[in-house]
Amino acid sequence: MATTTDDDNSSEGPLARWTQSAIQNPEKVYRALFYVAMVFFLVTTLFPFYWLLVLAVTPSGRLLSGSFLPSVDLFGVSATFPLPVPKGFNPEAFITVFEQVPFHLYMLNSFALAVTTTVIVIVVASLAGYVFGRLRFPGRAFLMLGILAVSYFPPAAFVIPLFQAFAGNAPITLPFTEIPLFTPPRLLNTPGSMVLPFSALFMPLSIFILTTFYGQIPDGLEDAARVEGTTRLGALFRVIMPLSAPGVATAAVLTFIAVYNEYFFSSIMATSTEAARWSPIVGGILSYQTQYTTQYNLMAAASIIGVLPVVILVIVAQERIVSGLTSGALKE
Amino acid sequence: MSTETGRESRRSGVLVDAMRWMENLSDTQYAYLLLIPVFVLLGVVALYPLLRTFELSLYATSLDLTGRSFVGIDNYVQLFTGGKNRFLPGGTTFIPSSLSLNALLNSALVVTIIFAVVSVAFETVIGLGQALILDQDFSGRKWVRAAIIIPWAVPIVIQGMVFFLMFNSNVGFATAPLADLGLLAPTNTLNDTASATFIIIVADIWKTSAFMALLILAGLQSIDRGLYDVAKVAGASKWQQFKLITFPLILPTIGVAVLFRSVQAMRVYGIIDTVSSCSVVPSLSCMVVATFNTREGTAAAIAFVTAAIIGVAVMGLIAWQGEDAI
Repeated sequence: MATTTDDDNSSEGPLARWTQSAIQNPEKVYRALFYVAMVFFLVTTLFPFYWLLVLAVTPSGRLLSGSFLPSVDLFGVSATFPLPVPKGFNPEAFITVFEQVPFHLYMLNSFALAVTTTVIVIVVASLAGYVFGRLRFPGRAFLMLGILAVSYFPPAAFVIPLFQAFAGNAPITLPFTEIPLFTPPRLLNTPGSMVLPFSALFMPLSIFILTTFYGQIPDGLEDAARVEGTTRLGALFRVIMPLSAPGVATAAVLTFIAVYNEYFFSSIMATSTEAARWSPIVGGILSYQTQYTTQYNLMAAASIIGVLPVVILVIVAQERIVSGLTSGALKE
Repeated sequence: MSTETGRESRRSGVLVDAMRWMENLSDTQYAYLLLIPVFVLLGVVALYPLLRTFELSLYATSLDLTGRSFVGIDNYVQLFTGGKNRFLPGGTTFIPSSLSLNALLNSALVVTIIFAVVSVAFETVIGLGQALILDQDFSGRKWVRAAIIIPWAVPIVIQGMVFFLMFNSNVGFATAPLADLGLLAPTNTLNDTASATFIIIVADIWKTSAFMALLILAGLQSIDRGLYDVAKVAGASKWQQFKLITFPLILPTIGVAVLFRSVQAMRVYGIIDTVSSCSVVPSLSCMVVATFNTREGTAAAIAFVTAAIIGVAVMGLIAWQGEDAI
């Protein structure tokens, strides 16, 4: 259909031709709208990263002088170029970032915290996922509801008692009584004060993802393993978990990203922002803001470096992320 | 598998006994045994702190910060009626003292609700658009999908840094054009409550729309594709297909997602702390963090009110969705 109209209107401009064919074939309009929307979303999501790059490569001396929106000569009329561009090119900021503060150590801390939390969450959530996915017992629905409720509560509702307990100054008392139980060790500025809250907060999502996956394994496979002589726990860790490897990977990736993302406990429990005292990436990036106030290019460069691990993870594991969030997110 | 039994017998006696004991448990006993780690973790990190927060909210700290005394629900009464605890650090309050814009923006409860309502509304519309695009088949879909998800995975501190650098009056290129339009304060933009609230909402929309999109995508992918074939045969246009099939069928998913995101938005803290500061844009979580060292009872009361609001919303979600929400 489109080709015939093209021939008829060959004398008109391309826009008129396209309009003509679009009227006769609305599919084309939808296709065009689709690409317009897609480009719009791509630009809006990716633009902030471009802006970080612009700041990072602009030499520090020129950051505060002049506009990032240069004037252009448009057929004799001066206009403002709508896209910010770097004022010069000096990629040194990407090296200076590591010289001024040990940024690699902050990232290593974040990695260590995220990996530790992920391992704890996967083991504990595997046990719970097995229970909820494969066993029928009284109180099942009630317990799932309780776990669900925990993940909904604001971290602020937990932070005061946890901070006091992790400070290790006073004994923990039984709530609503003055009975002292024990004095906990000082955990502020150690992995313990962050890994504990992270594990509890991010575990429910993993439990729900693993419940779905473990529940799908046919009973026969587990029974066969049991007949062969493996123990109950052996069947879980040697048969059920390997068979649900995609689900375990999904839960692990989502937990890792969630911990790497976390701000609330990361900023409160690491009272010292020194890398040597377990401050994660939060402390690293904020230290450019407090100690070197005007070094905006370093803040931008550090942000780009800090965001790279999750960008790579998202590109590599996007199938797992989408399936995990679409099946389990509402149950977080 | 025969080596398995061989390895089993070489283990110490206690372990074998434990295994044998475990084999003989009933399903219910075994279930509760495996849940012990979850109970311990949630008990220590969630249940104990929640009860303790409620307990602390019933006490007031003395002026010299050395002792505390039982005051009952006095902290809550003062939060809502504006007693001595109304005035929190930074000149901010818990509930507004009048209906002027200034008073509203200085109130933690109002700011949190404005933030949740406005950002979730935009995230729903943008997320729906993104989900409709991600649902299509086209070449390069993998890359488009990765690009759209990435903001969701960006650490909050980096998200905060991005928007701090974009709207900061010194280097931010976006401040001047938007100030010309009258949307932002031209100088000290991030120290102006109204401007900072606007920027924080934009930052949250940027990061969380993708998450909303994924939730809606789940609903889109559960629609029976056969319905569209029938609609095509009946001559329905793409718009009619969306209006008559897609939208009604994903409406329940959108409803759950909106409630779910609103609950999450009520605990906003990180983006405020990194882009601006809690003294410029007060939110419920901000107030808790800003006051817990000096006015423990007040902070605990705010934390518990937040938890209660969220608790009610979650109960609503469960009552509406029934077992599906679990």
